[in-house]
Amino acid sequence: MWIITLVMIMLVALPLKSSFKSVFDHSMAMEKLSGGFDAGLAGDMGKSFGQLMSSASTGGLLLVMAGFLLYTFFAGGLFTRFTTAWGGLKPTAFMKASTQNFVPFLKIALLMCLIIFFYTSLIIGLPAGIMLAVSEGSIPQTGLMIIFYVIWVLGLPVWLSVADYSRRWIAATGSRLAFRALGAGFRALGKRFWLSYFTVLVILILNVMFVCGSMWFTAWSVPQKGLMIFLFFLATQLLFLVRLFMKAWRYATVSQLAAGLKV
Amino acid sequence: MKRYLFLLLLSLPAMISAQTIFDRPLSDRITGYDITSILDPVRHTVTGEMTAWWVNKSDKPVNDAMLHMYLNAFSSNKSSFASDGQWSPAGDEGWGYVMIKSIVDGHANDLKNAMRFVSPDDGNIYDRTVLQITLPVPVMPGDTLKLRIVYESKLPSPIIRTGYNEDFYFIGQWFPKFGVYETAGMRQREADGWNCHQFHPHSEFYSDYSVYNVSVTMPVEFVVSSGGILIEETDNGDSTKTIKWRAEDIVDFAWTAWPGYQVAKKKWRGVDITLLTSEKGFKVADNQFTAAINALEYLDARVGPYPWPHLTVVDPPVTGSGAGGMEYTTLFTSAGGGMVPSFLKMSESVTVHEFGHAYFMGILASNEFEEPWLDEGVNSYWEQRIVDASYGDGYGCFNLPFLKLSDSDQGRTSYISNPSKQSATNDLPSWMYPHDTYDMMSYSKTAVWLHTLEGLIGTQTMDNIFREYYRRWAFRHPSGRDFIAVVNDVVKNELGDRYGENMNWYFDQVLYGNEICDYRLSGIKNHKIRSYSGIVDGDSVTFKRSDRSGDTTYLSTVSIERAGGIMLPVKVLVHFDNGDEKTEEWDGKARYKDFEYTGTRQVTWAKIDPFDEIDLDVNRINNSWTENPRFTAARRMTDKFVYLMQMMISILTI
Repeated sequence: MWIITLVMIMLVALPLKSSFKSVFDHSMAMEKLSGGFDAGLAGDMGKSFGQLMSSASTGGLLLVMAGFLLYTFFAGGLFTRFTTAWGGLKPTAFMKASTQNFVPFLKIALLMCLIIFFYTSLIIGLPAGIMLAVSEGSIPQTGLMIIFYVIWVLGLPVWLSVADYSRRWIAATGSRLAFRALGAGFRALGKRFWLSYFTVLVILILNVMFVCGSMWFTAWSVPQKGLMIFLFFLATQLLFLVRLFMKAWRYATVSQLAAGLKV
Repeated sequence: MKRYLFLLLLSLPAMISAQTIFDRPLSDRITGYDITSILDPVRHTVTGEMTAWWVNKSDKPVNDAMLHMYLNAFSSNKSSFASDGQWSPAGDEGWGYVMIKSIVDGHANDLKNAMRFVSPDDGNIYDRTVLQITLPVPVMPGDTLKLRIVYESKLPSPIIRTGYNEDFYFIGQWFPKFGVYETAGMRQREADGWNCHQFHPHSEFYSDYSVYNVSVTMPVEFVVSSGGILIEETDNGDSTKTIKWRAEDIVDFAWTAWPGYQVAKKKWRGVDITLLTSEKGFKVADNQFTAAINALEYLDARVGPYPWPHLTVVDPPVTGSGAGGMEYTTLFTSAGGGMVPSFLKMSESVTVHEFGHAYFMGILASNEFEEPWLDEGVNSYWEQRIVDASYGDGYGCFNLPFLKLSDSDQGRTSYISNPSKQSATNDLPSWMYPHDTYDMMSYSKTAVWLHTLEGLIGTQTMDNIFREYYRRWAFRHPSGRDFIAVVNDVVKNELGDRYGENMNWYFDQVLYGNEICDYRLSGIKNHKIRSYSGIVDGDSVTFKRSDRSGDTTYLSTVSIERAGGIMLPVKVLVHFDNGDEKTEEWDGKARYKDFEYTGTRQVTWAKIDPFDEIDLDVNRINNSWTENPRFTAARRMTDKFVYLMQMMISILTI
């Protein structure tokens, strides 16, 4: 997963880097960026800056879409690995399981995204909109909004648990029926609600802390020498591998929780 | 009873004016206003009567008077201000106007029928923002014209600069006010006459220094402040109160009222600073005070003293945001206090900028209509210097480890990235700038060429120019030509003939011209000087062993081009492979220039304008050339992009 993701992103990132370098060519102006991006240079870059930003955002959007499909595909293999093949899964079997589960997993992923979108609109969008209207354009009171953010986070394990139980049900039964799987997911959560909820909540909080911490590290690190930049690259990839393991940890935990449940 | 009341009202201004701010006037005080008024928060009107006086300082009789009637800009959608659609009323109650109900002169002549609206700038017959009054009795040289006016001002909504929103009031340009009577020679004028412009979307300030005695009655719940000092506050016992203010030697008088204002105070040297803000803004009151004091200290040390003992800073609430970013010398409005993250110095920048107008327009009362660059542009230049010196180690807008921006670069970017930057010169009247170039030209381009001037002549000389500008022109009406004369004198005095007889060549290009500046380092070449060999006239030139020594010497060439039309003296820093460095100076006039070096060393890199002093240069990326470009920043940014995308994908996939 890691290497495929990396190669996929590099397909967009490397041309961007080349374009960026060609704007500067033999200029020494890039040295002004050694301590972080000096936005004053954006004007000097002229139209190239806008084109680079446009390419980066379009490329980023395409990468997210492709990544969504890729990770949904690999989730098929992972859930099979954690459901029916605890002893291990050969790469060919892993890929076969991924292929078999892809369509129902994609349906579940899309449905859950839709549910989480409405949930977010209800818990955060609606109160923010009401506060915005009441205060006539003022930014919503941060203190009050924090309460809604907390409620949102506390509700999130419910949807993640349902998604994981559903996918585990497909991996276990071999069924291709996404809606039935969702029903099974809700039933499984209902049978072991508090245990499932708090387990996923803890994993979620740990994930959020890890993501925030690693993003903070990445944003605020400004390595300037060649070797340091290479070490920085290795560090970010190590962090990403940890992140992948943490995601797989949630799949495995929920799969284990579902073991023995009749749903 | 009515007669007694009338007499009492008449004597009020005299009673108020008994209290003064300055022992000696700072200005000529050609005009003055004694205003008694009532704020009606139901009808959103300010009504009352005023005595306005003007002294004829010319040596000829004057037959007419001209008054600003600026609230009429909001009276129809065909005024010059509103016709471009930038303002529409909030329903029928949103229209604004100022109406003269009666007007008599000092000889008790009724002038109501002698009034007519004129449109000296654009001939717009629907614009009613300039009033001309033909006087039945000319004002003789040295005489004073007194006008007693009963008026009604209806405030507009929504607020742009002035007006109301619910119970928030910001009241500027609210009473009939004299234009400026300019005498021949003043601001290079050829003949005497009134200078009184219409109210435009981009300009509103050109007035004489005045004394204001203002009394306003309003409901007690309003928290108020103004550009004057508080003389008296009386509770009238009928749920209203009357506030009396006095202001001296300022060019305009504005005030604000809102029940929700929180008030904080601070003293800087002899200046009482009062901050009026919302509850949210009150939490970051210190930021506003610090910004105001930074600006006070900076300009006080480098331009001249701030002479008034009072200063009011208004940070309007969201409901009054349309009043944000305005300047009335001793009162100005900031914006966004407590509304943006603390690393963004947006609110502080606005505070510094608007305070700066106390100098550039307030003390040095240039004509914003005709020469906006001398007002907004000069002020932007100082704002950028102050903000970058006060915050973020030179990156005044924000300075994060991965992203930074200086205030001066922010202004420069808005100039260099504007595709219409050559569509006009920088000396146009505010309403004449084409293609929405007013902001870019008046604010940004002026600040950019002032920074460039500073780079050429040095910061110390630049500061001395402004000290001299202040010394010569404080509390008067300087023009752009007057400012240039100061520049010429100071540069000549301090730097001799280094830049020629005068600096007009500079202003002809940057202010009165529309060319751009772009110097380009087109390349570096290091050629080995070869031994002489080949075929000459059919005879082979034989190889001589002793000539091989020539292969270790180089002819190095640094090639520079002037891609833009502006010609400036430039420095070029040349670096050699043995560590030597040489700074070349070029007058920058030719289209290209080659610097050649012969010797055992090779040129490894070269930079035009190595210390980034020529802000006018529209492309700094082409100012340098190196044989070994370093792309470490590009690698780092690519690594960050890759990780960001990896995390995005992993987060968005459940």
